[in-house]
Amino acid sequence: MKIVIVDYGMGNIRSIVSTLNYLKVEDVVLSSDFDVLKSADKLILPGVGSFGKAISQIKEKKIDVYLDEIVVANKKPLLGICLGMQLLGVSSTEDGFNEGLGYINGYVEKFDNTVVKVPHVGFNQVKVNNDLKMYNGFGETPADFYFTHSYRMKSDSDINQCFCHYQDDFVASFEYDNIVGAQFHPELSQTNGLRLLKNFIEKF
Amino acid sequence: MLRKRIIFTLIYSDGFFMQSRNFRLQKVGNLNWLEKNYKFQSIAFSLDELIVINATKTVKSISEFASTVSKLVNDVFIPIAAGGGIRSFEDAELLFNSGADKIVLNTALVESPELIKLLVKQYGSQSIVASIDYKKGNDDFEVFINDGTEKIDMTLPEYLKYIESLEVGEIYLNSIDKDGTGFGYDFETIKNLQDDINLPLIIAGGAGNENHLIDGLYLNNVSAVATANLFNFIGDGLPNAREKIIETGLNIANWNAVT
Repeated sequence: MKIVIVDYGMGNIRSIVSTLNYLKVEDVVLSSDFDVLKSADKLILPGVGSFGKAISQIKEKKIDVYLDEIVVANKKPLLGICLGMQLLGVSSTEDGFNEGLGYINGYVEKFDNTVVKVPHVGFNQVKVNNDLKMYNGFGETPADFYFTHSYRMKSDSDINQCFCHYQDDFVASFEYDNIVGAQFHPELSQTNGLRLLKNFIEKF
Repeated sequence: MLRKRIIFTLIYSDGFFMQSRNFRLQKVGNLNWLEKNYKFQSIAFSLDELIVINATKTVKSISEFASTVSKLVNDVFIPIAAGGGIRSFEDAELLFNSGADKIVLNTALVESPELIKLLVKQYGSQSIVASIDYKKGNDDFEVFINDGTEKIDMTLPEYLKYIESLEVGEIYLNSIDKDGTGFGYDFETIKNLQDDINLPLIIAGGAGNENHLIDGLYLNNVSAVATANLFNFIGDGLPNAREKIIETGLNIANWNAVT
């Protein structure tokens, strides 16, 4: 099993690498090189930081073009985490207005700090759908995952989204064919996160 | 529903982990001692987050501290925040690259607001924890920087407003008077201030047993309770405390739902 973490120069990838190592993934590589990305069994798009900066670095390194071919055309499984999930959507209002990769129909906007505390930080319950591959083996009850973010995604399409409630229901995860997204950090979510990552490794 | 959090804070100084009492440090043990007595790989399953603070009173070596942090984070699948002595962008970057998911800032909040803005821009608000050390003065609450040695000009309420203007993600509010006493949190002050705090609030200083953690978690505006008491929570102290807290029905995460 070879998992390549897409390197666009942002985000703390150490905890993801250490989690994948713990789950006995033999080969974990960080790269932005087309041939390396293409050689992966699965890809992870991480992300901490701001949307505008991330998308401009992705375009600068031509990662958008590479992912169009590898993930959209050739259907290689991709997991976007936190900002990495948001980047898969249509747009975000962080740093002005920026277009995302547009692989799924999702729009990213800020929480309203007159209604709730921003950022949304800590464990929160996700209404998981255990018919989805990513939640294989989860129960019927909501599962706790660790969130830390100020912007959240909304979608009016069926992208197999599961919701979390903060201010209102927002997209905590989606599973759109080979493209998977998690607003929470599975690598920081204890046993639930390990279970989800194991599913991504084994079921996709 | 958003859960409340239980956080353990490790106080580090010059190669050792310390018990702090009113900011006077007592050496407890090194990384080997910690691994033997706390086994973070397993205890982390009863914690929501871990905070590691470099409280070395002489010169703080960021590289040495970062290397300790990188050893601590192995096989610990919870968020780790680290800080103490961050004075430059490179210091922060080194800690992030060593496995910190968030960084903790204190003195730099006062001395280099420009650095804070830069860090917020690069890493996002949610990666920045503002640590505030305060003490009850004669008339008002006084705020201290540089490991509690230097009083600043602003009072605590003024300082809280200033901190929010820096767009940091969370506040770690630590009572110097209660620090390490094991007598319980500074509830009076927290109750008075909590409604004026619009950021996620972590309270610290004084927790000596699970009842203190429970009392803290019951406060409406408190997002997380922290303890740095190495002596009181040794061995199974933390797992037992979490179990008791879950029994009281408090709103904290439960990871055993997965079978």
